[in-house]
Amino acid sequence: MRRYRVILALTALAAALIVPLVAGQFWMTLITQIYIYGLLALSVDLLLGHAGLYSLCQASFFAVAAYTTAILEVRYGYPTLVAAPAGLVAGTLLAVLYGCAVRTRGVYFILITIALGYIIWGAVYRWASFTGGDNGITNVPPPSVAGVSIASQTTYYYFVLGVVILCAFGYRILIRSPFGLSLRGIKGSESRMQSLGYRTTMHLYAAFVISGAIASLAGVLYVYYNRFINPVAASFQISVEVSLMAIVGGSGTIVGPFIGAGIFLGLRNWVSSFFEMHTAVMGIVFIATVLWAPSGIAGFIGRWRGDGAKTKDRP
Amino acid sequence: MSSPTMSSPTMSSPTMSKPLLTVSDIHTYYGDSYVLQGVSLTLHKGQIAAILGRNGMGKTTLIRSVAGLTPPRTGDIVYRDISLRGKPPYAIAQAGIAIVPQGRRIFRSLSVRENLMLPTSVLARSSRASNGRQTGQRWDFDEVLKEFPQLAERIDHPGGSLSGGEQQMLSIGRALMANPEMILMDEPSEGLSPRLVLQAQEIMRRLRARGHAILLVEQNLELALSVADEVYVLSSGRFVFHGTPAELAKATQVLDQHLGVSGAKMI
Repeated sequence: MRRYRVILALTALAAALIVPLVAGQFWMTLITQIYIYGLLALSVDLLLGHAGLYSLCQASFFAVAAYTTAILEVRYGYPTLVAAPAGLVAGTLLAVLYGCAVRTRGVYFILITIALGYIIWGAVYRWASFTGGDNGITNVPPPSVAGVSIASQTTYYYFVLGVVILCAFGYRILIRSPFGLSLRGIKGSESRMQSLGYRTTMHLYAAFVISGAIASLAGVLYVYYNRFINPVAASFQISVEVSLMAIVGGSGTIVGPFIGAGIFLGLRNWVSSFFEMHTAVMGIVFIATVLWAPSGIAGFIGRWRGDGAKTKDRP
Repeated sequence: MSSPTMSSPTMSSPTMSKPLLTVSDIHTYYGDSYVLQGVSLTLHKGQIAAILGRNGMGKTTLIRSVAGLTPPRTGDIVYRDISLRGKPPYAIAQAGIAIVPQGRRIFRSLSVRENLMLPTSVLARSSRASNGRQTGQRWDFDEVLKEFPQLAERIDHPGGSLSGGEQQMLSIGRALMANPEMILMDEPSEGLSPRLVLQAQEIMRRLRARGHAILLVEQNLELALSVADEVYVLSSGRFVFHGTPAELAKATQVLDQHLGVSGAKMI
């Protein structure tokens, strides 16, 4: 089974590497977008799939990171080497602040994160003098490091691919560490984990901040990809959509959020070309997943491949 | 763990030394209901104290009070000279108290191995707490699997796929992995076959021989009387009996009124 997975991973990597050579501009930019949203969905899934927390303010970290980078680049002319890390830090700091939400649980946690998300959306939407309001920040320059500008979309594609692969490996180490086990234990039962000596609230707080940092990284990648940012990036809709991507793709896995992002963005692009109510199609896809593949596409494929023997006897 | 100075009890016979756990006059509420109405007990190292009583008398609440899951409103719980008052459950666990919860609450989605490794994680241990602990008993992974060979066969299966008896063994094994000095056991025999009840009884005796103290909550009178050094009978939040198992076996009135068994049936 392990060999099978390695072959599958290498095939996927090879396919990802040749995309710019065989596919046109349209596909390449769509797939870049899938990587970025997949990374954002992965950040949601650290909380949802591992710790069992349903955070609905991930768009806030994404947007604050993207806005910070965009404003520093466009308004103040800072170089990428300052603007990009600053965006990452700003989004992560917001997660350090918003992490206080882990003092609540269940539906209160969901409601608080929705409210926290609206604060950022309201700020970027209404504070027009600073954020550009509804128009957002336009003309973000392509990233440039040491005088070399990554203006080509192909180069940026490979750059995003590299960052995403590094993140996936880091994420894998994280979830297989004692900390990852602690999060899965907390998802199983928080009070039992406390009785085993775990300071669970601190662990959830740490997971929240790490998740915010990953979302911020996705935000920085996004603003250089899109070259433009507006309040939609901070919206509740984005937070919900990336959660759905994680669930549809397969919560609790690493590839799942990326598969989910692919399905969502792929379908949206395809369906919206001939059907106006494409969001209704998204809704149907989501319902079908919950009904027939509750562990997402990744879980469905896993079962179909036959390593379900392990999961089957789980009640 | 405000005071790191932990005195080591003397090596003399357990009953002569200072108690490991002293519960003094605790009153615990569960929501609005007044469950424990002034309960006191002591437990020494290497001893088993059994708490008996019918359903709803507060047995589980007593365990939860000691573990910090339902802190008492008044009264004090002192463990090795440290007051557990106001301490969160994780600090109590780190001080050396493990719990085997009622209904074998294992982590169903984690493998048997992961279940066992949880208490040993660096994230679950505080070095300060374990340094001072005197451990004549060291449990590790191999040792626990030797004790429960059934678990070794299913080590990489999810906990939820185990049988009820195996889950109970896993629950006890998980508690041992923390190398606790004291174990709180909440009805370990519940739902076990007679053969497994005997095994549970054996395990408790071996744990006592290795120096663990056990606070045992039981409905199974026979099991409790056969392993316990001291017996308490809890009725409506108060102790109505405290003595040795032999004394309880003779106290027909207590057996009849508070445990619903006739003394004749016992002997």
